[in-house]
Amino acid sequence: MPDFLSEPYMQRALLAAIILGPMCGLLGVFVTARRMAFFSETIAHSALTGVALGFLVGFDEPTLPVLLVCCVLAVAMLWLKEHSALLTDTIMAVLLSSSVATGVLLLKFQPNRWADLDKYLFGDILSVSWDDVRIAAVVALVVVIVVFRYLNPLTLLATNEDLAHVSGVRVRPLNYAFVLLVTLTVALGVRLVGIVLVTSLVVIPAATARGFATNLRQHLVLGTLLGLVGASGGVVLGYPLDFPTGPTITLTLAALFVVSLVYSRARRRRASSPLPVPQP
Amino acid sequence: MTLEPATPVENALEVEDVHVQLGDTRVLRGVNLQVPRGRIVAVIGPNGCGKTTLLRCLLGLQKVDRGEIRLFGKPIGPEVLARVGYVPQRLQVDPSFSLSVREFLALRRRETRFWFWQTHRATDAHLRETLAELDAVHLLDRPLAGLSGGQLQRVLIAYSLLGRPEILVLDEPTAGVDTPGEHSFYELIASIHRRLGLTVVLVSHDLGMVFRHAAWVYALNGVVCCEGPPEEVLDAESLKAAYGIHVAPYHHHHHAGHPHAHPVVAPPGQSVPIAFRKR
Repeated sequence: MPDFLSEPYMQRALLAAIILGPMCGLLGVFVTARRMAFFSETIAHSALTGVALGFLVGFDEPTLPVLLVCCVLAVAMLWLKEHSALLTDTIMAVLLSSSVATGVLLLKFQPNRWADLDKYLFGDILSVSWDDVRIAAVVALVVVIVVFRYLNPLTLLATNEDLAHVSGVRVRPLNYAFVLLVTLTVALGVRLVGIVLVTSLVVIPAATARGFATNLRQHLVLGTLLGLVGASGGVVLGYPLDFPTGPTITLTLAALFVVSLVYSRARRRRASSPLPVPQP
Repeated sequence: MTLEPATPVENALEVEDVHVQLGDTRVLRGVNLQVPRGRIVAVIGPNGCGKTTLLRCLLGLQKVDRGEIRLFGKPIGPEVLARVGYVPQRLQVDPSFSLSVREFLALRRRETRFWFWQTHRATDAHLRETLAELDAVHLLDRPLAGLSGGQLQRVLIAYSLLGRPEILVLDEPTAGVDTPGEHSFYELIASIHRRLGLTVVLVSHDLGMVFRHAAWVYALNGVVCCEGPPEEVLDAESLKAAYGIHVAPYHHHHHAGHPHAHPVVAPPGQSVPIAFRKR
């Protein structure tokens, strides 16, 4: 067994990365297709209110309050989208800034917790508990079941909601289910990568996979694998280098993204180059 | 020309006195229309006339405040919507989504619920056959997001046909399609209509298309301002009136093969902003 795996906190962090990375990569394909990256960002930032509220009411591990606050915010976002004339971007910007402001103010009332702020902003593997790993495993199971049971409706929903409705998809419940799954995944990812960087775990694997994939099947498989490689690779690389986990995971994913960009550019160039003229 | 049909024609779609208010705007103010089975019927009108709202009502996407819509004699619901092939104006497919045409079309087939992980030869053959009928089989492995407007419309029609619809509803189908593409697209719709005997409802502001292909035209502007065969509805004077000049409503006679054609009457207390006259 490698040295670093003898540390219990590394075992927890690596397990969390192995569970959350692929889950984020899988959902990320639909998140990017539906242009929901900013949604993921909003949910991540609302986690700050969850952390502060959790500490305020006496939780030592604020995972549950974070999940609860993120879900409430996601439902509020959907409700406002359906019941107001405001643009989705505007709603998300209002909720993002308000939830960050609420979180910061609530933390100000707890001076002994203020020092912990950066570990929630940028992630801290020491803060991943066995409970976090168990909750992540349960959510991952639900994500896998829902995504594969409703793969066709989810895919259709990403192309045109009206067409999905006419094709027999129950658009509203499926939208709510998808949004809640993304919310839970992002909220759990905050423990590993931090509020500021968790969107990278959702968006970058899917964007990287797009460079290699020529159809959705490949996109889903590669997105899931790249999420796994990026998240677990970041945890493993960060240990010997003594780098913080969140930024290391994000930079590992970003490096894979650059490879994908170079590959897809080369592929496009090959595809557009003229055929060789046969020599007489 | 006979004024009454020899045999009664069953309606695929009936819209009766439909009212819809969106915010402070009364978008539809007592719309009546009927679409007999097997006909190509067009709903035309300027921007903001309520075409899209009416279309959304037909597809069960918008509730009506008053009135009734029936498809094949039944209220709009999942059961009757299964008999509808809807061709939207466009898809919201982001270039970051690598869905291929093959995968998109497979979504319409029931047996492909878990299709992503296995190959269904029979399904694949069916997809090819459907695309071949639309002269689009070469698009099968192309990414959906990379299609041109005309190619996308063909794929959307293929998607609709795979569900074996009885009525095709097309929303501004040639928006974003160049002129030659438009012409061949409507030729395609006409040939599908002839071959399969489908009812076709075209919602469009493309008057040229209406003139060439529709059997019956409804001109909409909050209410149905006029209805009739295109050659009677679309004369130069009427078109001028349709897009600006307010004149008194004109009452059409009933026509053969379209037994439910209504005379146009303004709702109580309202003027009809558009009217058409026979040449």
